[in-house]
Amino acid sequence: MSGHSEHHGSYLERKGGMIATIWDWATTVDHKKIGVMYLFAILFMFFLGGMAAIAVRMELWEPVRQAADGSFTGQLFRPADAVSMSEGNNFYNRLFTLHGAIMVFMVIVPSIPASLGNFLLPLMLGAKDVAFPRLNLLSWYIYVFGSIFAVCSIILGGVDTGWTFYTPYSTTTDADHIKVVLMVLGAFILGFSSILTGLNFIVTVHKLRAPGMGWFDMPLFIWAIYSSAIIQVLATPVIGITLLLLVFERVFRIGIFDPALGGDPVLYQHFFWFYSHPVVYVMILPGMGVISDVLAVQSHKRIFGYRAIAFSSLGIAAVSFIVWGHHMFTSMSELASAVFSALTFLVAIPTAVKVFNWIATLYKGSITINTPMLYALIFLFLFSIGGLTGLPLGTLSTDLHLHDSYFVVAHFHYVMMGGTIIALMAGIHHWWPKMFGRMYNETGGMIGAIVVFIGFNITFLTQFLLGTQGMPRRYASYFDEYTSLHQLSTIGSWVLLAGFLIHLFVFLASFASGKKAPPNPWGGLTLEWVATSPPIEHNFEHEPLVKHGPYDFDTVVPPHWDPKDYPIPEAQAGGRPAVAHSPDRNA
Amino acid sequence: MTVHEHTTNPAALTLAEGFFHRMFFQRAPGTANAVATDDMYMWLWWFCLAWFVFLMGLLGFFVIRYRRRPGKIAQTSTSHNTPLEIAWTVIPTLFLVYIFFKGFWGYMDKVVSPGHAIEMNITGVKWNWSLQYPNGAESTYTTRLGAKEIPVFYMPAETPIRLRMISQDVMHALWVPDFRIKQDVLPNRYTTFWFQANAPSGDKVHPMNDLEAKGSKAPFIAELAGVPYEDHIIYCAEYCGDEHSEMAAVIRVVSDDAFARWLDVIANPTDKSPVELGEIVWKLKCASCHSIDGSRNTGPTWKNIFNTNRRFTDGSSAVADEEYIRNSILYPARQVVEGYPNNMPLIPLRERQLEGVIAFIKSLSDDPLVRASVLAPPAEQKKEEGQDAPQ
Repeated sequence: MSGHSEHHGSYLERKGGMIATIWDWATTVDHKKIGVMYLFAILFMFFLGGMAAIAVRMELWEPVRQAADGSFTGQLFRPADAVSMSEGNNFYNRLFTLHGAIMVFMVIVPSIPASLGNFLLPLMLGAKDVAFPRLNLLSWYIYVFGSIFAVCSIILGGVDTGWTFYTPYSTTTDADHIKVVLMVLGAFILGFSSILTGLNFIVTVHKLRAPGMGWFDMPLFIWAIYSSAIIQVLATPVIGITLLLLVFERVFRIGIFDPALGGDPVLYQHFFWFYSHPVVYVMILPGMGVISDVLAVQSHKRIFGYRAIAFSSLGIAAVSFIVWGHHMFTSMSELASAVFSALTFLVAIPTAVKVFNWIATLYKGSITINTPMLYALIFLFLFSIGGLTGLPLGTLSTDLHLHDSYFVVAHFHYVMMGGTIIALMAGIHHWWPKMFGRMYNETGGMIGAIVVFIGFNITFLTQFLLGTQGMPRRYASYFDEYTSLHQLSTIGSWVLLAGFLIHLFVFLASFASGKKAPPNPWGGLTLEWVATSPPIEHNFEHEPLVKHGPYDFDTVVPPHWDPKDYPIPEAQAGGRPAVAHSPDRNA
Repeated sequence: MTVHEHTTNPAALTLAEGFFHRMFFQRAPGTANAVATDDMYMWLWWFCLAWFVFLMGLLGFFVIRYRRRPGKIAQTSTSHNTPLEIAWTVIPTLFLVYIFFKGFWGYMDKVVSPGHAIEMNITGVKWNWSLQYPNGAESTYTTRLGAKEIPVFYMPAETPIRLRMISQDVMHALWVPDFRIKQDVLPNRYTTFWFQANAPSGDKVHPMNDLEAKGSKAPFIAELAGVPYEDHIIYCAEYCGDEHSEMAAVIRVVSDDAFARWLDVIANPTDKSPVELGEIVWKLKCASCHSIDGSRNTGPTWKNIFNTNRRFTDGSSAVADEEYIRNSILYPARQVVEGYPNNMPLIPLRERQLEGVIAFIKSLSDDPLVRASVLAPPAEQKKEEGQDAPQ
């Protein structure tokens, strides 16, 4: 552990014995500890959701068929006394509900903002902590409580509605049980964690920037976190209300969604997607922020079009609120579908601009290929596929074919997993030395990244073909013609699992015997690289003063680096580069 | 005739063919509008592929060309270029506007049905589709596909058909992949779905006799012997519970006049005894929940229940006579058998079908006297004859 000075120990330093250390972590208001606790909680949930995914793929290895003697093939699990397909299919339905609900509500939504965001936001801003440290701890406890609550109610109750809880299925199945209500309450509780974190981040960005840091001196990761925090605060209450209405519907039969009581089930879809579409951008924007920072730092290159990326984050956040209808082209009026299709194409533009900016950033850079950079490049590859396959889904005539098919499944996995989870992996590796003060094994990390990349594509490229060929989603069984593609996809899921196990091993090896990390291993210019690795309890010895932009690699020697190792061309060219865009600051 | 407005133009066909089209869709589009959709899809495929290869090529080139070299730092280059940034915003925008309109027009063709379309009613219920023809007749044929017997809906080729659809319980969605279209089926309002199927290619024809029917997917029907047909699968695309993946049906397209002949056959199924009719109703509407071999399913089995004592969840009990069966169908929530959930939907049956179900349940009784009451010797003989048809 790094003892930078005698009275300022690392935040990871133990406070006495085992019990005292656990108590210290459990009651901490340090954003770094909370970020790390979020990271571990989220990775654990990712493991649970991943296991459910592996089980889902196992079930789909072959179609469900009943033999002449009454026995079944193709079902992963069925009660010993079961005789119909229903009971075995029901297990599959619970599995994909478990997978979807965990991955969306407990992994992808909080993933980057709550873990990396919590850890880095104050560091990058040069602050001691977030604006409301106690609220921050509370949101972690709410997250943990909500997760336990939701997972228990899915597993014990056997919820099989899918993570979308569409009415009237969710309000009418198993009328004598309360399982859907419990699951929905779990999601409701998790929503509060999301709102509180978002609120905390917004205030922190507004109030706690270090002296000299203007809005356009913030790292793009902060812009992305800030944009997604706005969505979290504005959109999450909608799902809260919707889920409460669902609970009221089930418990008191008030008749908002159930047509038997005079309600309209499509209304539920509107409410649900009014939240859940903006939340897609809560999931992806922080990932984009990570990629902006990783690409710039690992290629020592001023990011291309800083303002374009910053404003496109806000633009995406704004447009995200008016495209929810593209989830419902098959249940809305033709006019509404046309309007939402047009609006959907609108959101494609800032997204495309970001990709162009990232690629342009690499131009004339000094590019290192290490695990975070490899993951950033994988992100660009997979996210481009995810984005481009959004076109046939946003296009009305083709969506009528592809809607609710495996094409959609593949598309959103390319965006959510190929985007957010891959960006999370890039971010974890990029900031691993900062978080834990130790390096990881670079070769191991790169091998893991390549295996994940290969496994991911085997798993999900095949699903695009399944979708166009007519395979509907959420099917426990299928006709024989789809068998080979399903099996290929299942094999891919094992490769993917192997890749993540390699990463797990690399992380454990780093904890056990990783080399001590220098404060600025990659040569970043933002303030977290000024702090020690790992940072001291209050982040900085002295309040940092910001004198340059976050990506001025052509004019500034990275903190802790020897100027001899970093010959700035400015000296040769004789003066400041004419293109420097950050405001002149002679503090 | 408006029919010809939807014929494909040859230019559209060029994109919707070839290796990649087969890779993506496997099966040929079944309507002119589906050809247009494939055309749109393949256009998007080449468009996206071009962009993707361009972007990834650039990425790969930069990563190799500008890899880090010891002792050197990044070259100074511009980090902002207004004309370039405007160009890469405006050019994609123009493409997207074009894609939107192309998709919108194709969409309107697919969702707005011609005024002279023939209307048929589709009902979705967990986990079956049923179809009612304009003359009130219902489809009575099934085919074995996947794990279950699924209903076959005969449809005329080259005739616009509008399906008016309603759900009896939760949401379903009707998807015909060959027509490249799907539409949600809601419990609280009608939605429609229209298509004009291409004429059958002639590869598949109805068998000429019972012997041929053994190796064919189509049954032997005297009126349709030798008639070419084309099958298009229907899926449920909106998650609806345990047997969501089994909720399928087949649209079997035959020529217009063959369809008219067939409609006559099913409109007057007087040749069928009540037991046969009941068995058809069971296959089409009841088999997903009620077994006839004594095994437990979502609902109780029908085997040997007639005249037995039934216990209900409210503690009461009753003898399963004709009236009990009839009431259980008409008022499914009134008497729920002990040990089973109260989740049977209301399945509308006509009087003759109700009689048929009662007779069919009687025929499953262990009591020879009960069986004899519905399976009189002449009827039994007739049943054997009729058995070939529904298979």
